[in-house]
Amino acid sequence: MNRLEGKRVVITGAGSGIGRASAQRMAREGAAVLVVGRSAGNTEETVALVRAEGGRAEAMVADATAEASVEAMVARCVAEFGGLDVFFANAATPGTNTPLLEQSVDEWNDVWRVNILSCFLAVKHAGRHMTQQGSGSIILTSSAASLRANAGAVSYSASKAAVNSLVQTAANAFTGTGVRVNAILPGLVETQMTRKVFEQARERGVEARIGHMTPMKRAGRPEEIAAMAAFLASDDSSFVTGQWYAVDGGVSSTHPHGRIAL
Amino acid sequence: MTTHTTAPVAQRLSGAVCVVTGAARGIGLAIAERFAAEGGRVACFDVGAARLEATVAGLVARGIEARGYVADVGRRDAVADAFDAVARDFGGPVGVLVNNAVWARFQPLEEVDEESAGRMFDVGLKGLIWTTQAAAPQMKRRGGGAIVNLSSTSALQALTHSIAYAAMKAGVLGLTRASAVELSPHGIRVNAIVPGMVGTPASVGKFDEATVTARLAAMPLGRFGEPQEIASVAAFLASDDSRYVQGAEIVADGGWTIATR
Repeated sequence: MNRLEGKRVVITGAGSGIGRASAQRMAREGAAVLVVGRSAGNTEETVALVRAEGGRAEAMVADATAEASVEAMVARCVAEFGGLDVFFANAATPGTNTPLLEQSVDEWNDVWRVNILSCFLAVKHAGRHMTQQGSGSIILTSSAASLRANAGAVSYSASKAAVNSLVQTAANAFTGTGVRVNAILPGLVETQMTRKVFEQARERGVEARIGHMTPMKRAGRPEEIAAMAAFLASDDSSFVTGQWYAVDGGVSSTHPHGRIAL
Repeated sequence: MTTHTTAPVAQRLSGAVCVVTGAARGIGLAIAERFAAEGGRVACFDVGAARLEATVAGLVARGIEARGYVADVGRRDAVADAFDAVARDFGGPVGVLVNNAVWARFQPLEEVDEESAGRMFDVGLKGLIWTTQAAAPQMKRRGGGAIVNLSSTSALQALTHSIAYAAMKAGVLGLTRASAVELSPHGIRVNAIVPGMVGTPASVGKFDEATVTARLAAMPLGRFGEPQEIASVAAFLASDDSRYVQGAEIVADGGWTIATR
């Protein structure tokens, strides 16, 4: 599978979970990957996993919410690999479970900073490089929680809905430039971000109930999101821009799954 | 228009028996070709015997395992017979179904006649029920499968003279979601592709030159799509790469529907 041969890729939030799985998948398809995260240990571990399979990757510790850092990611990718073809802005935070009426402005702003400011900066700086180049694919991680309530904190859902809007407005702003911008909307996937949910379910012995609301009756795996990211990074999605693609076991296509009593 | 890359692709559909309806030309043919390139064994359905025979002969001449089935998907009995024949001929159950066949007529409201509307719904909507009905038992037998239904951006943002067409293509989305919910327990995934303007002769020919020029200028990707760019989406949805994608609408329209026009 060499759909990404010669592609130069930046992935944020790549020290674990969906970002790590995407680094592995894209490298397997021939991409050179700049693995960005806040932890040196985690990013280096991702790089080691990629290299163990014969892939090409470099680690970079950087803050996805700081403008200078995002500019530095683009510069580093260009310096290291000779260009930038794909930017996967995947860093995110679930926020806190503070009830809506108790939520502080600081808590709210923190979620918005990590989840949407980071995407704006990615679109701005990757977009600047790619529009000049005349091609490129920008991928943002949204969430099935952006479409409906009851799938995460209020601030989380709202910030992810903002990501969806940014995908449309940025794709439209890049009309005629050859730059594509799309979002992936994962459902419940076991990662560092959602680990608590899974651990609590295991403690209570109700692990089998995880994902019972989805038609597929299970949670997703990071590799299953990575497969979509690889599709959006590749020329297989060359006519796709401005889209929100759910990878959620069907949860957004149905009401909480059940059978109508006859 | 860019040239689509012919980079080697993985054998994600290795050995799978794939039914593609409306496969004699256009998007259907591109899907059959792409599936074959990924290792799929292709059962090409079409209502036009002559064009189907020529297409299948061309595929076989290129070393592709393809068979043709002349069938009107609007007829339930004909569909059931064709699926029986596929299982027999390929020596195994169907694993992938792509509902691409369509019969379309674009008419102003006052000219919509019963026969045209009936034919559109028979082929483009009821036909999907018949093929899904025929495919599901075979897919259950092999422990699962993938169904890909072709909708259209007309289902999301309508054009004039497309009342029946838009209704049919919006119907495909409802049918897709409901099929996904009903078939999910059997490991069958059902998803829809929502293509925008794809530069097949049939689709571009529907519009006058001024409309085509205006649309190209407003299109975020600056061009119409190619059938191969829908086929690559279909291959993703048919393969295990999309194994957690269920009941989804995958729009591939060059960005046409994202903006207010």
